[in-house]
Amino acid sequence: MVPSAGERELVLALADDELCVGQNHAWWIAIGPFLEEDLAFTSIAQDELGHARSLYSLLTDDVDELAYGRRDNEYRSAHIAELLCHDWSWALVRHVLHDIAEQIRWSALVGSSWEELSHLAERVLGEEQFHLQHGSSLLNRLLADELGQQRLTPAILELAPMGREYFVSSDDQLAENGIMTMPLAVQEQLWIDQTGELFEQYDININFGSEAPFAGRSGIRSADFAELHEEMTAVLRIDPQARW
Amino acid sequence: MRTYEVFLKREGKDPFTHAGSFDAPDEEMALIYARETYGRRSEGEQMWIVPRTAILSANEKELAMADRDHKHNNGLLVAELRRMSTGQES
Repeated sequence: MVPSAGERELVLALADDELCVGQNHAWWIAIGPFLEEDLAFTSIAQDELGHARSLYSLLTDDVDELAYGRRDNEYRSAHIAELLCHDWSWALVRHVLHDIAEQIRWSALVGSSWEELSHLAERVLGEEQFHLQHGSSLLNRLLADELGQQRLTPAILELAPMGREYFVSSDDQLAENGIMTMPLAVQEQLWIDQTGELFEQYDININFGSEAPFAGRSGIRSADFAELHEEMTAVLRIDPQARW
Repeated sequence: MRTYEVFLKREGKDPFTHAGSFDAPDEEMALIYARETYGRRSEGEQMWIVPRTAILSANEKELAMADRDHKHNNGLLVAELRRMSTGQES
């Protein structure tokens, strides 16, 4: 299928979110909080990069070029996905917020009129279920602990409102055209409800703000992006012609 | 944290074999970490996860006591006796 401009924007946004989160998760290789978590978290990083690859493949035969070779203003990642999160509390909270969103977004793509996208969604959802189980299990245990809650709360309050950008798209006809089986606004509300409920159990009340941030989707990169992009393209830049 | 021992079984008639150990805070997370630590490259199709404290260890000294020459019968002695009684040349 040849996607319309809006459909291409959607897939780029989904893929760029996965690419940035995958790359960011991978930063924790060998320095995760404990060995088992290190392995689990960076294995999830690999999955996310795999999802990014599959999504880019819907748009191009040259995945590396599309993934790494664009100008800053051509990326569509949500700013929450770009954040480096070099503090474990932040990395864990972003992981959970991201994967609640992933579960909702991918579910809305199962049955898409874009057949390849629908098939991909079915395959990816199995992995996403595990990601969310992992993230929320660990988060719940840490939130049940006073010190854990103290450390996690600032990250939750700051990151949760940013997560609304996961559901921003320039194309408002996606549901009407059958690309998604549920309008993004409905998905966004689902995400706010689920996220709010998760944290309310611990008396953490989030102010989600009056509207979703949209800078990342419109081509403006966050302060952390330059460093992230520098790192993700470091090996490629050593020898751009290398064949893997 | 609690330490768990992992046993993996491949497809077919192979028995479960010890794969290693890992730490997890409780059973639910043990399942998650076991999968990622010992099963992410399809090393087995079945997995047993056992809290280390559930394993009874035999006392080494008593185990040595149970080990006696006559328990290692490989049949040679019996074969020799049979040959003698039937008058066959060895």
